[in-house]
Amino acid sequence: MFNLPTTNIGGPELFVLEFGDIVIYFSPYTAALFLFALIFTALAIVSRPEQQVDITFGGDAYYAKEVDLNSLQFQRFMAIACGLATLGAMVTGDVFNFTLFASMVGITNIGIVAAYRNRHVLNAAFQYGIVAMLASVPLFGGAAIILANTGTLSMWELFTDALVVPIIAKAFLVIGIMGEGMAPFYVAKAEITRAQGAPFILMIHVSSLLLFLRVIEIVLSM
Amino acid sequence: MIEHLLFATFVGLLFHGIHRKVIARIQGRPGPPIWQEILHTLKFSFKETWIPKTASQTLFVAIVFVAIAIWSAALFVLLSGRSLLILFGVYLLHKIVEHGMGLSSGSPYGKFGAIRSVISAASELPLLATVAAIYFFTHSLSIADIAAYQQVHGPLLVIAFPAAAAMYLVVLSKMHYGPFSIIEAKEIVSGNMTEHFGVWRAGLEVAYALKTYVLLYAFVLLFIGQLPSVLTLLLMLLILISLSFVCAVTPMLSPYDTVTIQSLMTGALVVYIIILGVVMG
Repeated sequence: MFNLPTTNIGGPELFVLEFGDIVIYFSPYTAALFLFALIFTALAIVSRPEQQVDITFGGDAYYAKEVDLNSLQFQRFMAIACGLATLGAMVTGDVFNFTLFASMVGITNIGIVAAYRNRHVLNAAFQYGIVAMLASVPLFGGAAIILANTGTLSMWELFTDALVVPIIAKAFLVIGIMGEGMAPFYVAKAEITRAQGAPFILMIHVSSLLLFLRVIEIVLSM
Repeated sequence: MIEHLLFATFVGLLFHGIHRKVIARIQGRPGPPIWQEILHTLKFSFKETWIPKTASQTLFVAIVFVAIAIWSAALFVLLSGRSLLILFGVYLLHKIVEHGMGLSSGSPYGKFGAIRSVISAASELPLLATVAAIYFFTHSLSIADIAAYQQVHGPLLVIAFPAAAAMYLVVLSKMHYGPFSIIEAKEIVSGNMTEHFGVWRAGLEVAYALKTYVLLYAFVLLFIGQLPSVLTLLLMLLILISLSFVCAVTPMLSPYDTVTIQSLMTGALVVYIIILGVVMG
């Protein structure tokens, strides 16, 4: 039987699913995050993108941009992949899996806007790519330090009082996730939101915030 | 629960009306009657409703329901004394609602509002620091445990005053007509809400009323403690009036200034937590 040791943080576990030594769990907190990610993944699947309306500078004229269907398909694919990675990160019971899902979110976030032909958006995507790549160093470094100190990456063991996780490892995990798109690093990707395709662009924001919420629970519980 | 939800919506809308009235009186205007926001919501409920031709239609509608759902869930979390982390999550997820609302319409004003909501993401940092400071003292994020801690040790408003100040800034960041309300500034019409009319706007008014009620209630519960209902409401009203004073006398900040102030507050709170850690071991 599995008993979540830190019920005072995210609540008691509601449901546990074993995949060998990797045990995912739903607590009221992770279940709420999972549900939210699921809703926005479903919206990315069923929603059509908006037509952005632009105003011509210096006059009253305005025009609606056309939607590029080829770009749309790729954006939708990447948004769904991002949603699936976020879903995994919300419920995983293993720190290494969490870092892998976080990295996948970073890659898919760039993929969502990569096909959009706008200089500002592509520049922002490039800058964000660099920040996310740099952030993966403390992210995986944090996981490595935890493994070196405790001999395990299972949250079920790390959340107990028997194991002490170094504070530097916790700080590395938080910095790594912040680099995936939280304040203050989000400035690198603010221009990304100019891109067309609201349901898909929104997944960039959803995934970053949900990852941050999950890492806070993990760090406080360890 | 349903009756409390209706009550919270009604009180939240009334609070919005009082907020407008206090701001107007401080600025030397008569202002609208305090029930104006209730009338607004009723009016929008019966007005013609449409979805712009250029909008991402599913997202345009769904985002209104998501807004109501997350703040209803937040109220449930508060009333049932569950994890403060869920409340923190809802606050962050509200950012996605603001963002999605603006982007989904296709309107340039909505888009500007949405981009500003991304920039103002720094408003979440003081809340995170507040949660960390509360955990430092109570060693629990269960709202019921936090209330129990205050019954024994006294209000956290006194024990952890900097954390209360940061939470006050968080609530201020979400008030209408405030120094941090850059996403609905008039130079971008109504920002991310520009294209949401009729029933959709009524739904958003309900969600925002719930948000105001939940944030004020959370402030009282987390920093003063569990009190009788009437006294809680009275304290919520007093906090609201103090917020209205700040909103009335402070001009709207530029987007980057909002980030600077919120980041500085977070920095100050991090220093406070480090000092606490050193002093208290």
